[in-house]
Amino acid sequence: MIGIDIAFACCGLAALLAVVRIVRGPDRGSRIIGAELLTVTVVGLIALGGVRSGSTSTFDLVLVATMVAFLAAVSFARALTGGAR
Amino acid sequence: MSTISTVLAVVGQVLAVAGGLTLLLAALGLLRFGDVYMRASSVATATGVGISLVIIGSVLLMPGVADIVKALLAVALQIVTSAVGGIMVARSAMLTGHRFRPDTTGTEIRDARGPDGDP
Repeated sequence: MIGIDIAFACCGLAALLAVVRIVRGPDRGSRIIGAELLTVTVVGLIALGGVRSGSTSTFDLVLVATMVAFLAAVSFARALTGGAR
Repeated sequence: MSTISTVLAVVGQVLAVAGGLTLLLAALGLLRFGDVYMRASSVATATGVGISLVIIGSVLLMPGVADIVKALLAVALQIVTSAVGGIMVARSAMLTGHRFRPDTTGTEIRDARGPDGDP
């Protein structure tokens, strides 16, 4: 399971770097892209953590989280333009 | 543990590590690149591959028919939607007037904008 641990650490570090970008800005677009990367890394953390703990309902969560990540990206894009297309 | 499941476990862990490294590379690009559009291209191109490798690697460690179907569905969804999401965010950034880096050679999509202001 050492590979899963390494991948988990990589995903966690990527999420941390995304948070650094969200905090530092410098503009709203960069913050939104950081949030996009954060949602994706959280999906990866769910998948890897579910496998690591042997949970049986992991991939239900992964499927739903993938859909929610896309909806979040679309909503971020709409929020950036203030609701206009 | 039989031979085939050992092989699957090793392959799955290799794929998961490759996906994790791809996501880490996307985060490094997000941190190091100079403007919104470079960051969007880094994230949108790398997350599709990275998360697909992570999900496939995870499902190889605990294989089951239902899990494989769900994982393949999630991978297909992610590959299709990550590019679309990245393009939508970059397009919104452009519509709201985010600046290009000064040494960008071509920003002529601004000039190609139609008469109703919609690129």
